[in-house]
Amino acid sequence: MLNITLDYVPIASDVSFLMIKQTEVTSRPEYLPIFYIHVYSSIFALLAGFIAVFFDKNLKYLHRFSGRIYVFITLAFSSLSGIYIGIFANGGWTAKVSFVLLGILWFYTTCKSYSEIRKKNIARHKFWMWRSYALAVSAITLRMWKVILVYLFQPNPMDIYQVIAWLGWIPNLLLVEYLIKKQNR
Amino acid sequence: MKTLNLIFASAILTVSVISCKKETKSEEKIKADSLASKKEVEQEFHKDWYGIYTGDFNSKPIATEYGNEIEEYKKISVKINRITKDSVYGYSVVNGNQRPFRGILNENTLGFVLDEPGSNKSDGRFQLKIKQDSLVGDWSAYNKSDVKSPEKTVKLIRKEFAYNPNFMLSKKSYEESDYENPVDWNGGKVKTESYVTDEGKTETYENTFYRSASDKVFVINASKQKLAEKDLKNLRKLDLQIIRNTVFARHGYSFKKATYRQFFENTDWYVPVSNNVDADLSPLEKENVALLARLEKYAEDHYDTFGR
Repeated sequence: MLNITLDYVPIASDVSFLMIKQTEVTSRPEYLPIFYIHVYSSIFALLAGFIAVFFDKNLKYLHRFSGRIYVFITLAFSSLSGIYIGIFANGGWTAKVSFVLLGILWFYTTCKSYSEIRKKNIARHKFWMWRSYALAVSAITLRMWKVILVYLFQPNPMDIYQVIAWLGWIPNLLLVEYLIKKQNR
Repeated sequence: MKTLNLIFASAILTVSVISCKKETKSEEKIKADSLASKKEVEQEFHKDWYGIYTGDFNSKPIATEYGNEIEEYKKISVKINRITKDSVYGYSVVNGNQRPFRGILNENTLGFVLDEPGSNKSDGRFQLKIKQDSLVGDWSAYNKSDVKSPEKTVKLIRKEFAYNPNFMLSKKSYEESDYENPVDWNGGKVKTESYVTDEGKTETYENTFYRSASDKVFVINASKQKLAEKDLKNLRKLDLQIIRNTVFARHGYSFKKATYRQFFENTDWYVPVSNNVDADLSPLEKENVALLARLEKYAEDHYDTFGR
């Protein structure tokens, strides 16, 4: 993920993924800044979220610190910019709906989780944050699926995009729901 | 005083050198002018033979136990530009290698002897006879040891080259072949696969995979329509490469890469006439070529890697 982010340093309008987004880059002045907000903020959201999810019991201070960073970055930058980019996603409506929905759900679950912990509902906070982070991790799983599917079927680039748009986060969410069910038993 | 003298001397020297240079320049110019005027008055013959002759450039058949075998099949174009009393001028193009030649025409036998410059290791001499629309004969390399086939047979037919933006790879001709779509036979990827036999042993075998293009290469014409990202995003690299290079093929570009050559050499319209056609592209074609090249680069870097 870091490597992918580093592709975009320094800021340029035609590197990597942007090479096939020139239509948007040239016709919408706000596309490039929002895209860069997404790229530069998301890597920190992933990192902070990772620390918060896996260091929850014994390192309270670290958990709170990284958790606050995760919530702030996700709500203020990553999810909203993600929704905007999703509106112009490759792969037509199929992909657009998926990415916009993903962005909205990511924002909502993060919000919900934060309000639960403000009310001191630790269990609910935990489960909502699991959902939120499962959606965040779609950044990684989506790209992983792409490698797997290309290896197996060599589909056309946009056909695969429509598939991974959904495959990137639905299984993550299902897995987390299953884990939550298991915990509740 | 001494320094003054020195300065004077050097000034005189520079002035004289400069004036000398100028003189030589103007002399050369005069020479060139006289050459040009000479050229103009030099009588030309057989203007009706001027033009492009294109066809086979194959190694001489070698007798083997299986009969005569030809090792190398190539296409060549020969362009005759001028015929004067004592000289023939033109060039040949093979696989993007364009070489000028100069030679003579024997009026009695209607035979040409055409010599390439010799500065390239693959230069040689053509001996060709002209009969109506065909130019037939052979070619032999000056340097027999540096080329794969030093002796070649040349069979050419006269072709009119004219750019036409409508030329495309034809779906019909591919449907008549064994393969429905263009296949890149030059870039096979070998993959090792394994299976388990009935006795539980694992056997491996090698499979070669070739890229094949989609139907879009018969439809998308980069010489006629303004292409946008959205028209091309769903294409794979080979499609993009073919669509882009069809533009160059229409202009008679002689491809250096076999990957591209193979698609056009079997069409009835492709006549390779030049190793550089960049200046001939229309503004629309230039824009489309740049866009296609950008998407090709993206496909190459990102299609099968972790990322988007």
